[in-house]
Amino acid sequence: MMNIPQHTGSKNRKFNDYSFYEKSSNYYLLPFKFHRLPIDKEVIVNEFGDFLIVPTGTVARIVSREILTDDPADVELVRDLISNFFISETPIPSLLDILSTRYRTKKSFLDHFTSLHIFVISLRCEHTCHYCQVSRVTSDKGKYDMSRFHIDKGIEMMMKSPSPHITMEFQGGEALLAFENIVYAVEKAKKAAMQQGKTITFVICTNLALVTDEILDFCHEYKILISTSIDGPAFIHNKNRHKANANSYQLAVEGITNCRNKLGAEHVSALLTTSAISLEHPTEIVDEYVKLGFNNIFLRPISPYGFALKSETKNKYETTRFVEFYKTALDHIIQLNLDGYFIREDYATILLKKMLTPFPVGYVDLQSPAGMLTNVIVFNYDGDIYVSDEARMLAEMGDFTFKVGTLGETGYQDVFYGEKASVLSEAMANESLAGCSECAYQAYCGADPVFNYATQGDIYGYRPSSSFCQRNMSIITHLITLMDSNPRIEKIFRSWITGKN
Amino acid sequence: MEIHQDNNRLYLSVDAAIYTEAVIFKCLYWYTNTFEVDICQEPATKFNITLTPKAASPEPEWNTIQAKLKQDLIDFKLRQLINNETQNIRELIIAKAFAYYEQETDAEDMNTAT
Repeated sequence: MMNIPQHTGSKNRKFNDYSFYEKSSNYYLLPFKFHRLPIDKEVIVNEFGDFLIVPTGTVARIVSREILTDDPADVELVRDLISNFFISETPIPSLLDILSTRYRTKKSFLDHFTSLHIFVISLRCEHTCHYCQVSRVTSDKGKYDMSRFHIDKGIEMMMKSPSPHITMEFQGGEALLAFENIVYAVEKAKKAAMQQGKTITFVICTNLALVTDEILDFCHEYKILISTSIDGPAFIHNKNRHKANANSYQLAVEGITNCRNKLGAEHVSALLTTSAISLEHPTEIVDEYVKLGFNNIFLRPISPYGFALKSETKNKYETTRFVEFYKTALDHIIQLNLDGYFIREDYATILLKKMLTPFPVGYVDLQSPAGMLTNVIVFNYDGDIYVSDEARMLAEMGDFTFKVGTLGETGYQDVFYGEKASVLSEAMANESLAGCSECAYQAYCGADPVFNYATQGDIYGYRPSSSFCQRNMSIITHLITLMDSNPRIEKIFRSWITGKN
Repeated sequence: MEIHQDNNRLYLSVDAAIYTEAVIFKCLYWYTNTFEVDICQEPATKFNITLTPKAASPEPEWNTIQAKLKQDLIDFKLRQLINNETQNIRELIIAKAFAYYEQETDAEDMNTAT
């Protein structure tokens, strides 16, 4: 027998209660920022870097409580806003601890403090690159090679880092000109790291012109990573990187082959330095990396430091030109991926990791607080200590603003927590910089007081004319627009993060 | 909001009850690279703003600039509303994120010259 509910009194009504038809907009805002996109949409980004692309006007609707949580037209948006922590159904979100953990995770690059220690092992070089910031063509080892005393003191300071994982990177000049000092430094640092219970990674930055079997045997023994430079096809590379009576491109390509054979492909990487001539050849440069068998390319803008500024006709190009170059090259890279060849662009990948994962990225140029001191320190060939690689390049122009000490004379505390570090720290967080504090891309971008100082004359910078700001705003907006335009591109971007095709 | 352009200058009169000083300054910050910006406040009622091009030429596209400025003011007002409403929860999230964090070892021990 079927039980039929008994309706009595006021419950026995033909129509729903009036409240049934009331629309609800009971929600609470969580912190987020927004930016208008050039496609009649806007992107909203929360404190943790999660983003949503929504129709223009959505932010105004959210803020003015025009989003109705029980309106079928808004239900999907409401779900997205709640699940991505843009709004909350309660004044204090029930997942507050999760939000705090996510924030903490995004800033976890600070946990272990400085890991990258750059040793400028020699300022000497056998190349005369027109954009080079620092090098000297000389045989004067005594003047331009790092002394054993400074190597020892640099290793001692490196071992005082709280980080259990440290990286010792040898730069030049041409680092291999001082190979005997690299051997000394690696062996000494390896022993010291073992005693301190730290893991240590070694990197040699080299043009590979001087690489020999003996050098590669040593690199193999100590699992040293090789970071070299390829600026594109021979006609670009050789124009950028002049070497007397030699073909720099040929030497680099042969060196890469030898390194891969001896060390394994995963131990060799190449960096691109973009110059004025590069800007005319974005696709040729990408194709060169494919030809050489690379699965990644780093489209870096030329730095505004050191000797580079002295060659204005060759190097002083507008940021807009670089961004156009970047977009063209990126389009070509995406097409290669669509056609089945896996190759990722590293600058985009750094940004995409910030946008699409909960994790931070250890790239010192795009961090807040800035990567200088907190993630990287530079020991120059003469024992001077600088807050970043760019800071020592500035010093080569005679500006020692960012020198924080001298090896053997200045203590760890004074280098990393001294008066100069204190002054710099005021400009190291983009959360508190004018123009950045309201920016939707704050979670993806960073602060760079040295860049600000070098290009604009003060460590705080001025965003309306900042090339750092213009470049990153343009590239981030482009990446978001690309993902919105085609799900296949987003899939490719995600494969760059995971490294899986 | 009253807005008019005359003699190669843009004049705005903005209701102070709608747009706070902070909103106006944050918005106009982005115009200071191309314009000299003068802001005067009439007590408690409105801000009188003048934009004068820094470069003599070319002539600014005033219609575009007016439309953009109006939109930017609204956007920065929205940002202020979000900030005001979420400031406490933001502070709570960040405070909890770094609470109970292990203190660094005595820094003085590390300050021996090496």
